[in-house]
Amino acid sequence: MGQPLDLFAAASAEGAWTVSEVSRRARAVIEAGLPPLWVRGEVAGFKSWRSGHWYFSLRDKSAQLRCVMFAKQNFRLPVPTDGMQVFVFARPSMYEEKGDFQLTVMELLSTEQGGLWKLAFEKAKAALAKDGLLEPGRKRRLPAFPGRIAVVTSPDGAVLRDIQAVVGRRWPLAELIVVPAQVQGAKAEASVCSALNRIRRLPVDVLIVGRGGGSIEDLWAFNSERVARAVAAMPMPVISAIGHETDVTLCDLVADLRAPTPSAAAEAATPDRAEVLAQCGVIGQRLARALRIASRHVTDRLARTGDRLTSCMQHRIEQSRARLTAHGAHLDALSPLRVLGRGYAVARDADGTILKRVAQLPTGKEFRLRVSDGEVDGRVQ
Amino acid sequence: MAEFSKQLERLEAIVRRLESEDLDLDEALKLFEEGIERLRVAREQLQQAELKVKKVLEIESPS
Repeated sequence: MGQPLDLFAAASAEGAWTVSEVSRRARAVIEAGLPPLWVRGEVAGFKSWRSGHWYFSLRDKSAQLRCVMFAKQNFRLPVPTDGMQVFVFARPSMYEEKGDFQLTVMELLSTEQGGLWKLAFEKAKAALAKDGLLEPGRKRRLPAFPGRIAVVTSPDGAVLRDIQAVVGRRWPLAELIVVPAQVQGAKAEASVCSALNRIRRLPVDVLIVGRGGGSIEDLWAFNSERVARAVAAMPMPVISAIGHETDVTLCDLVADLRAPTPSAAAEAATPDRAEVLAQCGVIGQRLARALRIASRHVTDRLARTGDRLTSCMQHRIEQSRARLTAHGAHLDALSPLRVLGRGYAVARDADGTILKRVAQLPTGKEFRLRVSDGEVDGRVQ
Repeated sequence: MAEFSKQLERLEAIVRRLESEDLDLDEALKLFEEGIERLRVAREQLQQAELKVKKVLEIESPS
């Protein structure tokens, strides 16, 4: 027991740490070694200061932690009471002025108000967000004219009936592929995932994941990170129609479209066939008009060609006519009648043979004499 | 029946081509005929269709 003197000797004035140095070092070690984390415990010694900051302890059976939650973090929360079971998301640190190890609380959830569910939800949501699965840019457009619409839902519920009715009325050209799944209970998560898996390999244009409303526990499968990731990984656009408007599930968040009800989902997935028919009518009119315009060029050309043909032919005809007249005049000049007119006559015998020589005209030969205005009979004397 | 959207896309393309291009009559007529035929088929599909519902589990394991 003669050792204390040695210890004092070893600790020189320069070697001793100040309180502040130890506190700062301890704080650095704590902050480096314990990143922000979720802690569960019971609230004790709760006090709200005028500044709005909350001071309290979290404890369990064997330990307790000092906590502070600043006003800017707690201003929307209901005030917790001692004895309440809570989850806090907090940064472990060191309050150097008091030498206290403490949690700086950023979020506080009470398990009494579905806090447990909310905690799991927030954790999964953060994980999805971290992987970019909640980005608005990921949302795909729904197909305009879906051929195959898959539905994951409970096989005998009202959800399927509603979807079938709407699709049947609006777009019966589609084929509805129903993949039944348990949407509630312990097996729901696995069941929905396996249904999604099945659809992944089918040629489907759009998928509706549907479930009627229920309590937050009932909807839980659709708040599972596993289901949300499976939905996000589907190769076709997904419409989620889960619960009612007030309950947003993770599945809603990762889906390409969130519909308030299964009927609304079916409506969003389909065009209205009456409108498409009207559209067809418009296309028909455009086709006819376009053809009329396209053929107008040809008609015009045809007309022009016709005109040219006509004028060309007319020209030809006139030319021919002129030539004919000229020939006519020529012929006329050569005509025997014209010769007769000048005082010549033609003599023919009874056979019509023209008598041109003296030898053909012996004394007593009868003949007919053609003069310019008629014929007379004669005899050679 | 994703074919319906292809059908409609083709129809739109035909109309646009017919409207915009200086086609010779033969080609225009061919396009027009194709358009009318596709339109007829599309209308028929729209008017006659009846929703088909398949349950995948039943198809894959009829038990």
